[in-house]
Amino acid sequence: MKGIKKSQLSNFLQQVSAKYSLYVPAQVDGVTRFQKYSSEREPFLTANTQLSPKELFFPQTEQLYCYETHKQEVKVEELAASSEPQVLFGVRPCDMQAIGVLDDVFLGKGYEDVYYRAKRANTLIIALACSQAEATCFCDSMGVDPAFAPQADLMMYETEDGYLIEALSDQGKDFLQEFSSALEELRSEKPQAPACELKAETDGLVEKLQKMFEHSVWAELSRKCINCGTCTYLCPTCHCFDIESKTRGGKEVKFRCWDSCMYKEYTLMAGGHNPRPTKKERVRQRFLHKLQYMPERYGKWGCVGCGRCIDKCPVNLDITKVIRELREVEA
Amino acid sequence: MNPLVPIIGKISKIVDETPDTKTFHVTTSNGKPFTPLPGQLAMVSLPAVGEAMFSISSQGDDHLEFSIKKVGMLTEALHDAEVGQEIGVRGPYGNGFPLDFCKGKDMLFIGGGIGLAPLRSLINYCVANREDFGNLQVIYGARSPADLCFKEELFETWPKVRDMRVDVTVDKGDENWQGNVGFVPAFLEQLNPSPEGKVTVTCGPPIMIKFVLQSLAKMNYQPDNIITTLEMRMKCGVGKCGRCNIGSCYICLDGPVFTLTQLNQLPNEY
Ligand code: SF4
Ligand code: SF4
Ligand code: FES
Repeated sequence: MKGIKKSQLSNFLQQVSAKYSLYVPAQVDGVTRFQKYSSEREPFLTANTQLSPKELFFPQTEQLYCYETHKQEVKVEELAASSEPQVLFGVRPCDMQAIGVLDDVFLGKGYEDVYYRAKRANTLIIALACSQAEATCFCDSMGVDPAFAPQADLMMYETEDGYLIEALSDQGKDFLQEFSSALEELRSEKPQAPACELKAETDGLVEKLQKMFEHSVWAELSRKCINCGTCTYLCPTCHCFDIESKTRGGKEVKFRCWDSCMYKEYTLMAGGHNPRPTKKERVRQRFLHKLQYMPERYGKWGCVGCGRCIDKCPVNLDITKVIRELREVEA
Repeated sequence: MNPLVPIIGKISKIVDETPDTKTFHVTTSNGKPFTPLPGQLAMVSLPAVGEAMFSISSQGDDHLEFSIKKVGMLTEALHDAEVGQEIGVRGPYGNGFPLDFCKGKDMLFIGGGIGLAPLRSLINYCVANREDFGNLQVIYGARSPADLCFKEELFETWPKVRDMRVDVTVDKGDENWQGNVGFVPAFLEQLNPSPEGKVTVTCGPPIMIKFVLQSLAKMNYQPDNIITTLEMRMKCGVGKCGRCNIGSCYICLDGPVFTLTQLNQLPNEY
């Protein structure tokens, strides 16, 4: 199988970055996330990134349009939702699955989000199979194969001597063609998929949850949550946003920014009514959204088992433990 | 077509309905911004203040109407606006009322306060397409005579429509009030319209809806033939921003109109 020798990796990335806007996992200021490639920046490939790649399609803040108001007049100027051709290198299978979830949300159900589409349609994704599961990984419980990402354009496997690479989509094939001179025949074999030690038992979960909306377990499960929102910002599938205005360089700009169902204001209505007034309703919303509503609406889990929320929740609210408790209590 | 960017329209007329509710007519240089179905929603914005979702309470050949109660920053700014003010509108959003289901049937509308606004779009549709519907009846209540919305239609226009009756009640009368005094649910039971061949559409304060539904059940109305509209906080209007869900339903796309049968299947979180 064709591949890239480890010693040739930076050479390959440099060739790609000469033609495309290339993003690689890297550590910057103590945080691992997808960064624009530069030759001084060593790609971080030993584990998944702390921040998910969703910010490349759905940035934390994004301008929507400009407007001007003068006395009774209002003028709106649309901002072109464009993007340069970009390549994402080293996306893990769980995060690729999460991008598939975002595709369903932003491109499906009758309306296309033009800002998301502009970036998504212009991006080629090279996924990297995991050869080792972290203690917080449970993707294989959520229908993800840690060694394969079927929705990626290309699939890469780390071996002893390098990275095997195969094309999964037509764009992926063209890309391999384009950079064929940087590839060589490697002798190694595809490695075995790692097994996650952390598990979540999900059989029959949706059906059970459909009967548990009013269950007393939600009060118990939400007790320690401080509604900080960390879990939702880190989650690769969370897509909620707010729309707000700001003044930038004398211009008024409408922008959207990540929002979180963990906050009271999220559902607070102008008259003061709030359908999710306490953390019990908000925590229930988060877990039911991922484990019941998403499967009902899009036919897939809203959790891909990446483990980020487990790793970073300040009070240790672990979604796999939540799933376990939900299974154990009587519906 | 970018669903998040508003069209700019102009307020062409403002009607004072009650001390805290005004109806705004919005038009553009090309006529109405779009042609909604009765019961659909639109995002209305004063870009410098904010944007919020409102039901479109009626439409004319060249304009849309929004009946807006003062409850927060945006609605206060709208109430301060004058004719000629340009505003943003985008939409239409949501499912609207099930017209095909309603056609050929008698229609009973039960509204309270500003809750008559979404019903009005359908009432005026029924009036404009009179031959498509059976008898029409509106039962409407507000806190006081001054709080009644759409007085001209209630007391002048609608009662003159063929086979249409309008019954109005107030919680508390004043020296000039000659009509019924009492809450909507009690008034409904007193009028006791037969459920036979009827579709009932109700909208109002949550507490009124709760008791109206109880009264309708007592009077033998079936959940399949009872329709209501829901309200949630909204930002995008197109099922992306996440906040308007009730269970796996997004009110901006799958609602705001539901039959009672559908509502009973949703989690109780609205
Ligand atoms: S990270 Fe933990 S504490 Fe913070 S909102 Fe999420 S579950 Fe609650
Ligand atoms: S819910 Fe937690 S484990 Fe699941 S995808 Fe989101 S961040 Fe990852
Ligand atoms: S308003 Fe954004 S999802 Fe409904």
